[in-house]
Amino acid sequence: MERDLQRVGVINWFVLLVVGAASAIVAGYAASATGTVGVVFLCLGFLAALVSYFQMRLEERERLERLEYEELKKSRGSATLFQEAEGDTFPAQRSREQFERYLVPLFTALLFLSQGGAAWWFWKSLAKAAPPKLDHAPVAMALYALFALILFLLGKYSSGLARLKGQRLLRPGAGYLILGAFICFLAATTEAGAFFGLAKVDLFVAYGLCLVLGLTAVETLVGLVFEIYRPRVKGQAARLLYESRLIGLLGQPGGLITTAAQALDYQFGFKVSETWVYRFLEKALAWIILLQLGALFLSTVFVIIEPTEQGLLERFGRPVNGRAVLEPGLHFKWPWPIDIVYRYQTRRIQGFVVGEVPDPDLERERTVLWTRPHFRRREGEGSEMPGMLVASRGQAARSDTSEKAVPANLLTVSIPFQYQITNLQAWAYQHANSDQLLQDLANREVIRYLVNVDMEQIMSSGRLAAAEDIRQRVQARANDAHLGVNIVFAGLQDIHPPLGNKRTPVAAAFEQVVSALHQRQTNILYALAYAAEKIPSAEAEATNVLAQARNAAVTRVALAEGEAARFTNQMVAYEASPAVYLQRTRLDTLARALEPVRKYVLTATNTVDILMLNFEEKIREDLLTSGTILPPDVTPSATNK
Amino acid sequence: MKRNPITVFTAAVLLVIFACMLFTFQVRQTEVAVVTTFGRYSHSVTNAGFQFRLPWPIQKVYQFDHRVQSFERKFDETITKDQINVIIAVYAGWRIADPKLFLESFNGDTTRAEQTLEPVIRNAKSGVISTNNFSDLISTNQAELKFDQIEKAMLDAVQAQIKQTYGVAIESLGIKQLGLPESITSTVFERMRAERQRLVAGYLSEGERRAKITRADADAQANKILAEASGEAKRILGEADAKASQYYEAFRKNPDLAIFLMQLNALEQSLKDRAYLILGPQTAPFNLLNGAPGDAGAGVRK
Repeated sequence: MERDLQRVGVINWFVLLVVGAASAIVAGYAASATGTVGVVFLCLGFLAALVSYFQMRLEERERLERLEYEELKKSRGSATLFQEAEGDTFPAQRSREQFERYLVPLFTALLFLSQGGAAWWFWKSLAKAAPPKLDHAPVAMALYALFALILFLLGKYSSGLARLKGQRLLRPGAGYLILGAFICFLAATTEAGAFFGLAKVDLFVAYGLCLVLGLTAVETLVGLVFEIYRPRVKGQAARLLYESRLIGLLGQPGGLITTAAQALDYQFGFKVSETWVYRFLEKALAWIILLQLGALFLSTVFVIIEPTEQGLLERFGRPVNGRAVLEPGLHFKWPWPIDIVYRYQTRRIQGFVVGEVPDPDLERERTVLWTRPHFRRREGEGSEMPGMLVASRGQAARSDTSEKAVPANLLTVSIPFQYQITNLQAWAYQHANSDQLLQDLANREVIRYLVNVDMEQIMSSGRLAAAEDIRQRVQARANDAHLGVNIVFAGLQDIHPPLGNKRTPVAAAFEQVVSALHQRQTNILYALAYAAEKIPSAEAEATNVLAQARNAAVTRVALAEGEAARFTNQMVAYEASPAVYLQRTRLDTLARALEPVRKYVLTATNTVDILMLNFEEKIREDLLTSGTILPPDVTPSATNK
Repeated sequence: MKRNPITVFTAAVLLVIFACMLFTFQVRQTEVAVVTTFGRYSHSVTNAGFQFRLPWPIQKVYQFDHRVQSFERKFDETITKDQINVIIAVYAGWRIADPKLFLESFNGDTTRAEQTLEPVIRNAKSGVISTNNFSDLISTNQAELKFDQIEKAMLDAVQAQIKQTYGVAIESLGIKQLGLPESITSTVFERMRAERQRLVAGYLSEGERRAKITRADADAQANKILAEASGEAKRILGEADAKASQYYEAFRKNPDLAIFLMQLNALEQSLKDRAYLILGPQTAPFNLLNGAPGDAGAGVRK
């Protein structure tokens, strides 16, 4: 019988190995994420079954050794046998003990690392997993169903054998076999889901399996720690460290409470299996689960549409007559997969940006300037895009095909658009990527508008009209394409010359024009100020000149009149004594005229002295040395007499 | 043998599901389907709804999205008729027109279909652009601009190429982006800057011109005012001279005396300020220094 058990052990790990390999091939063939993660469970099951098989063989050897020993003891009765050391007497027992003491914890630790590592790696890599291949789904589904059947039958047989014969070493393999069966069944189900258009289910189930793998890793770790503190009862067989209760639980849902009870019994010695709760759950668990599944299925007969949404109701893929669009509120329908509702955010204002996308980090500054980057940097590009081409009236007028001039300028453009879905059926049924198409149409209309408008016009007076014109054009194009949207807003608030580059700052050049305008006005105003000063000054000067002339004229006439009158009187005096009068007049005049004059009178007439007279003006020293001004008489005379 | 009702129920449900999977399929409003029997085309399903089929591997169902698919070409460089390099990106809307042909042409793979359409669209785009001048693409003159016609020509060229071949129909085609290569962009930047510099220089020169004119006008006006004032002053003085001349009649009675008196007056006026006078002892009244009358031989000697 023991030989049969060992054979079952061999079959267990062999089947797990073969099915694991086959499952890996099928997972690759059908791009099944669930199948791929399931392979990890099967491989771990293979390792656990292999280790338990070796442990089984060691126990069998020990049992045979013990029997042999008993036989020898009975036949010889020799005392010398009892004098040998126990290790020498029972080498198989010693081997088994060494195996359980060292190899089993080591294997369990490796198992923990494998489980944890695989859970972490798959959790990260599943995001990049390709969707299941629909063409291969039926084949994969059939193969997974076959694997599930094989694993289930063998697992059930092994677990039954383990329970009936009390062979605990068959349990780990049996648990993994049944779990493998369920995973293969799940993989078949996800393939069916993908076949029916629910490709995402495969990914969700794969994530769920990753979670289970992580939990088994935690359980293995906790088991290792508990093993250290577990109370040792003499004669009680130690629990298999690498046997997962969680896997046993998942592999045998019917034994949920049994496993829980066994765990409690094992750790605390409390007999849960004798309580009424256990007995009730054992009987009703399947019905409860079935009821839950039924309730879940029936919950698909009603749907609640949120205030921002509308729903499309389809029956076997066809819009339901009269109820094709569901408004916000509660609605009843046939259960899935007969009726399916697709939700859309139709009432919410949605938006996109044509051209440069503003960078919220850069725009956080209080002032947004043309000369500073304020748009989101795109991959592989400079700080901002070169801009959109816009027509130039001046360039167009000068353009000459022989010169190959480019009659265009570049503008940095960032135009936010806002829209609402007004006809959900048109939006959802006409185009596969309606939002992308709307963005393409808006881009096209902006380009089309810019290539036919003068740059300076659109940047200044034509801006508001241009925004409205672009909105209407995009609306018209959207209507032509039957997109079923209302373009609520198109803003032209961010349209300006490009930043340029370091060598050629374009936006800064536009600002310099404004500076030049101000400089021009400044120069004109300074000139006007000069004129405003110059002319009144000249007028004042003219008035002064005229006044002086008038004064001089009056003086001249008056003097002439006075001199004439005086001369008449002087004539009388002169005629009385001409010589005396002349001399007197002469001397009076000299006395008066020479009074302030510095006079040098040379009295010697017969000398040969050379007289040196210094008439040079000199700064008086006292002016330099002190504030006191001496009278001219005190000043040392520079004259030589 | 007693059977567990739960097992029976579950098995029945699973059987129904499996049977549905094998014998039926759904076609959504957005889809078309092609059914093949032992690999040979059987029929196409263009109406949405519940459909029956024979199980795999007898019949196989291929379902495709029947809606208009958006397809965007990369931003790539081409050249216009007047030899100006431009960068153009186009978008296209295409849908499956013939599901059977689509299946045969692309094995039902939309990615492969777009990869196949890409060179066709690119060829049409470059071909049409090369027959138009740059000013056909961009101009303020509405009559000169042929933007819409260029798009239409591209669409016609693509449709002519793919018709009856690929099982798809191009619904729309448009220019999504239009630009210039980086080297030309730099020169456009330079030209835009030069235009601004021209304006700057113009404004500054205009300011200088108007300032100088204003100053010159002011100077001229001031000069005129002063010149007129000077002339008027001279006229006034002339009139004064004329008026004063009538008084000079009195000097005719003794011109010599009048001249003598005038000389004295002139002498007095000329010696008023900062003069040095070197006089001989014979000059009256300093001749008195040589001896007073009645004091013969007496004199001042220094």
